[in-house]
Amino acid sequence: MLIQEVLLKIFLKNHPQCGTAKMIQLTATPVTALVDEPVHIRATGLTPFQVVSLQASLKDEKGNMFYSRAYYRANEIGEVDLEHDSSLGGDYVGRHPMGLIWSLKPENLLTRLMKKDVMNSPFQVHLKLYDSDILLDNKPTTALKASLTLERWYVAPGVTRILVQEGRLRGALFLPPGEGRFPGVIDLFGAVGGLIEFRASLLASHGFASLALAYYGYEDLPPRLEIIDLEYFEEAVNFLLRHPKVCGPGIGVVSICKGAEIGLSMAAHLKQITATVLINGPTFTVGIPQVYRGHVYQPAPFSAQLVTINSLGLVELNHLFEETGAEASQSFFPIEKAQGHFLFIVGEEDKNINSKRNAALAIEQLRRNGKNNWTLLSYPGAGHLIEPPYSPLCLASGIRTICSAFHWGGEVIPHAAAQEHAWKEIQKFLRKHLIPTATSKL
Amino acid sequence: MLQLTATPASALADDPVHIRVTGLPPFQVVTLKASLKDEKGNLFQSKAFYKANGAGQVDLEQTPALGGDYVGVHPMGLFWSLKPEKAFQRLLKQDVMHSPFWVTLDLYDSICFHDSPTVQPWASQMVQRWFSGPGVQRKQIREGRVRGALFLPPGEGPFPGVIDLFGGFGNLIEFRASLLATRGFAVLALAYVAYEDLPDKLLEVDLEYFEEAANLLLAHPKIQKPGIGVISLSKGAEIALAMACYLKQVVATICINGFNAVSNVPLRYRDLVVTPIRSGGERMQVHISGAVCYRHCHGDPRDQLNRQSVLPVENAQGWILFIVGEDDECINSKAYAEQAMDQLQSHGRSCGRILVYPGAGHLIEPPYAPLCFASWVRGFSWPFLWGGVPAAHAAAEEHAWGEIQKFFRQHLIQTRCKL
Repeated sequence: MLIQEVLLKIFLKNHPQCGTAKMIQLTATPVTALVDEPVHIRATGLTPFQVVSLQASLKDEKGNMFYSRAYYRANEIGEVDLEHDSSLGGDYVGRHPMGLIWSLKPENLLTRLMKKDVMNSPFQVHLKLYDSDILLDNKPTTALKASLTLERWYVAPGVTRILVQEGRLRGALFLPPGEGRFPGVIDLFGAVGGLIEFRASLLASHGFASLALAYYGYEDLPPRLEIIDLEYFEEAVNFLLRHPKVCGPGIGVVSICKGAEIGLSMAAHLKQITATVLINGPTFTVGIPQVYRGHVYQPAPFSAQLVTINSLGLVELNHLFEETGAEASQSFFPIEKAQGHFLFIVGEEDKNINSKRNAALAIEQLRRNGKNNWTLLSYPGAGHLIEPPYSPLCLASGIRTICSAFHWGGEVIPHAAAQEHAWKEIQKFLRKHLIPTATSKL
Repeated sequence: MLQLTATPASALADDPVHIRVTGLPPFQVVTLKASLKDEKGNLFQSKAFYKANGAGQVDLEQTPALGGDYVGVHPMGLFWSLKPEKAFQRLLKQDVMHSPFWVTLDLYDSICFHDSPTVQPWASQMVQRWFSGPGVQRKQIREGRVRGALFLPPGEGPFPGVIDLFGGFGNLIEFRASLLATRGFAVLALAYVAYEDLPDKLLEVDLEYFEEAANLLLAHPKIQKPGIGVISLSKGAEIALAMACYLKQVVATICINGFNAVSNVPLRYRDLVVTPIRSGGERMQVHISGAVCYRHCHGDPRDQLNRQSVLPVENAQGWILFIVGEDDECINSKAYAEQAMDQLQSHGRSCGRILVYPGAGHLIEPPYAPLCFASWVRGFSWPFLWGGVPAAHAAAEEHAWGEIQKFFRQHLIQTRCKL
């Protein structure tokens, strides 16, 4: 018999009223929230010291299922409080109040969780409490004891979405609720293409006028990425600055991966960019050329034979540019000319890009030119896809027509912590460099 | 002239193959791919990128792979890095007597990632990987309660006898027994659950069943007396350790990644019933791949409450070799083997030896088998995580296989010379 079971017997002998059946309750506060807000999950009315299983499940808009589970031991008054208690096992171990959400795993390994419709529906996360007697060889054998459904929204009430189809621009502009003007931000995702709106809608929920900008694989934009024309992005910057609800004089960029390559180039060439967030991006042109007003940046040479495949069969590109040295100078952007500030966000376990090295190269370039307009946030254990907090770690997924199984990297627990920390830092950074303070106006 | 050679083209699965390419343009980067289809039609593939030297040669015994499924000098890398097309499939040869695994080696003149019907390899070779040698005989065993397959080397004998035990998920795994028989041992691949008319679930370990099997072996005219060996993995290793403790017929036992105590189900031997250590399913951990790590679930044999479950290794009359993978994600096998060694030493016994392999996972098998990192297990709806770092695991298997044969030759053949 386990120590705990012996203690339980003694406890129940001394507290006979605890042995009677009480109603098991599962609570979560708040039940409806933004996806980047934490939820306080508790269970009460359990038998003291019993082991329970908490499971979460989610169905995305394509019908893909995601699951997570954790095992907790109730305390002496039959309660489990995820803010205080440690999980014994399951998808995470230890004290992680939001663990059930960020450890959600897809049924099929290569599935990425991405909300398409951010305005009209939330993700529903179903929480279930099992009074479990888990045998090593099978699923829980006893019935469901309590359940509830969380709503996780990508927009706050009052945020408006405006489809953008001006000139060449294709995207969606999210405006915070209320009167007045808001700092403007352009939101860029990576080579996955299409229009990805969920980060822009969240930024708008936190007071930024955010333009989710597509650049290929969407509507009448090029179906394949063959060249990056920076003037397209300059158009977007001018569009934002012209907008009556956007306050200038500077615009911010929040960007990841290929988007961060573009963001870096925008900061180097466009003086209106005053705050650039670069998440796991390259320091130079990758794969295809970039052009701005006739100047062409050729893609940096790479060594295809340095691609590795891990033991799960996932493709890792982080060594691709290991042999790329000085000969790539015409692929580097003149970032020392940038007028704004840089926030480099690095996942040290990124298996798609050698993000740590890239950030170091960029910072070295700035230093060499006497600039100190940068901040580096380097996260051990975090992977490539650093997203808003509580997003499940996507270990691997495909990019259509390129590869079916890219390894993004990252360890679940440190990656979740990195997402939580980085999100706050991103907002602080944008506010600091986009909102003119009273003194700086002088 | 461009040539891809692989020698020997037909060999035992535990024999290395020397792969070379000649006649390439100097410093050309090439892709070498291996592919295999198992008996159920599941595809396994691997690839590596090499750069030819100034003489246009690639020699896997000297040239390092630059990328792909492995990096560095690994002559057999294409074999042990084979990966299933469908995740969590384990490569297991069913028919070990009449057919080999066919491995196709393809050479491409550049970095070739995806398989394309339009891109043809520059050169191809096929190699056969056999699990039994000429003259090895297989006999289906259905005597008394004993169920399994007996593999006999060619010749008159007598041969040292070995019982081969795999894990507790059922069926009969024969490939290690057939390979050992090819190396000169009479090996009984012994089933003990979910095979033929054996019970479908393991509710207890009845050591008398294993004693029956041991006596069966010893009664065979081609098998040496008076003692046999046991080679075992996982649950099989726990059973083998119990056999070593209680059965005088067992004189040399190899336990690979097993428990040193009775776990999950009771052990019975005549009047003795040993209660198992309880495992805590709530301590399972889900790996990012979705496979489940059970390493933390098992009770601690050093806990006073569990002491009656610990196997009395000090009673073993023969020799014991513990083989352990430090990266075993299924069982904390290093700790258990070290505890057993401590127990032997504290009783003044020196018949135990331990081999610890850093980077090796749970499924330490004969060499050059693909690393099975995680796989589906009969009766469970999720894959089990076995662990292992590919190159280190492959090196461990190569080394361990040599040690296994040395150990049996040293401790089984010696008994014959005592006469």
